[in-house]
Amino acid sequence: MLKVQHLERHNRTIVSLLLIAAFVWSLSAVEWKEGLLHTGGINAILKIIGALFTPDLSPRTLQLAVTASWRTLAYATTGITLAIALALPLGIFASGVLCTSPAVKLPTAGFFRGLLGLMRAVHELVWAWLFVAAVGLTPFAAIFALAIPYAGILGRILADILNDVPRAPLEALRSSGASKLQLLVYGYLPISLADLISYTMYRFECAIRSAAIMSFVGLGGLGYQIQISLEDLRYHQVWTFIYFLVLLVILVDLWSNQLRKKLVT
Amino acid sequence: MNLERESFNSLKARVLTQTRGTAPSTLNIVKLSAILSLGLAAASWVYVIAVENASLNEFFSRENLTYATGFISQMLGNNANKPAFLEAESWRNALFLSYETLQMSVLAISFAGIGMLLTVIPAARTARDGSLTLSRTWYGIVSFFLIRSVYTLSRAVPELIVAMIIVFIFKPGILPGALALGLHNFGILGKLCAEVVEDIDLRPSRALRSSGASTAQILLYSILPAAAPKFLTYMLYRWEVIIRTTIIVGFVGAAGLGRQFKLSMSWFHYTEVTLLLFSYLLLVVFVDLISGFLRRLTR
Repeated sequence: MLKVQHLERHNRTIVSLLLIAAFVWSLSAVEWKEGLLHTGGINAILKIIGALFTPDLSPRTLQLAVTASWRTLAYATTGITLAIALALPLGIFASGVLCTSPAVKLPTAGFFRGLLGLMRAVHELVWAWLFVAAVGLTPFAAIFALAIPYAGILGRILADILNDVPRAPLEALRSSGASKLQLLVYGYLPISLADLISYTMYRFECAIRSAAIMSFVGLGGLGYQIQISLEDLRYHQVWTFIYFLVLLVILVDLWSNQLRKKLVT
Repeated sequence: MNLERESFNSLKARVLTQTRGTAPSTLNIVKLSAILSLGLAAASWVYVIAVENASLNEFFSRENLTYATGFISQMLGNNANKPAFLEAESWRNALFLSYETLQMSVLAISFAGIGMLLTVIPAARTARDGSLTLSRTWYGIVSFFLIRSVYTLSRAVPELIVAMIIVFIFKPGILPGALALGLHNFGILGKLCAEVVEDIDLRPSRALRSSGASTAQILLYSILPAAAPKFLTYMLYRWEVIIRTTIIVGFVGAAGLGRQFKLSMSWFHYTEVTLLLFSYLLLVVFVDLISGFLRRLTR
């Protein structure tokens, strides 16, 4: 036992040293000699930081910020609802709880897990860009671009949670003659509901940030406003919109914390 | 990705311990949340469909199908006389860009990790109320709130927006991308790791203090050893997330696969896009494997 512990500590030292070596290696990639800052870069830093404490609070900007916030929130919400709708069937198939024999379970679960992995490996903005290149920017292109990677993550988590469900209540159901589908509806899903809801709330917070950066492919909202203000060098306005984004994220964070407290007790 | 669950479970345990013994609130927050989320979902869909003119029929129209199949066949190299993914030269280029992207991600997680290590101790609630190092000071309280608000701010601003601002200041290259990614992940890592510090068993610290150890000695011999493994796993987990996002900061001018992706998209070199996407996926899988291996090693 003592020897194992010793070995573990040894491993940790090795990993730490590896990480430090990787850091040094990555520092070598930076071109230090040619100068890192733009001419006037220092000036830009000072201006941006100076504007941090004096955001533009004129009624026009505030009104713009409120509408933009709603737009970002609306896209995040539609994206996450579609993601939930996609994740439910995919996650259930990926968990393999509906399959009766292992001969069917292994390939189907493997296939759906792979599919979910592919969906979440590609970042939402890359999906968005592919959609834009393929069919142009429509609201649904943005919603699908958001929903695909989020469905990949939520589906994976759903599959994991379903596989972790305690066996005893399920055995009780099964011995009273429940079918696989009934087991799912009356056993697996109710047991894991609280976990699923809290995790989805956390992902909703992330979806707001993702919806904001969809501005890069032209979707309106807070990110778009930030981009425009930046291009016009209106730093005070940039901070106003950033503060609205921060506020939105904090509000959702508070909400999900309150809900989580209630759900897990 | 499993770590996400792990951190979530520890969060759940924390909430459980925090709420144990508090009186049930009169307002039923579960019911309220259900109504609120349904209302929000309905309002959002109505807004997107009615005001933004979203139409599922239009999205799945025959026209779009033709466009999409055309796009995909172009990506697969039909009617291109020399698909990029069959050329050794473009493979070499993609490999180099992947290498650069990997370096950027390592630099980013290093920045985030170093920043986190420098700030995490005062950011723990147990440090604020003095139970961590058994000394309570006014500057401890001030720095707690200061660091926590910096965490929240940097966590709430997406990497891409940080990158958009940073390219105003730095010359394009690996550094601005890594800084943008590092800043955002610094906030996330800081929050996660501050919770690790809060969950540490305090008895060793008390034993050290009672035998006359200084605060620095307590940090070095009791807190750091207890927290280090979790810190490492969280950093590795965030590294997996960062590698997926490196392509995004590349879009605004930082180096790597993202920048080339943007250029190829703008020049309609779709076979190159295919190659870059393929390298990106390989890179993601590669980092997942390495990180999983290192995590098993630390366990």
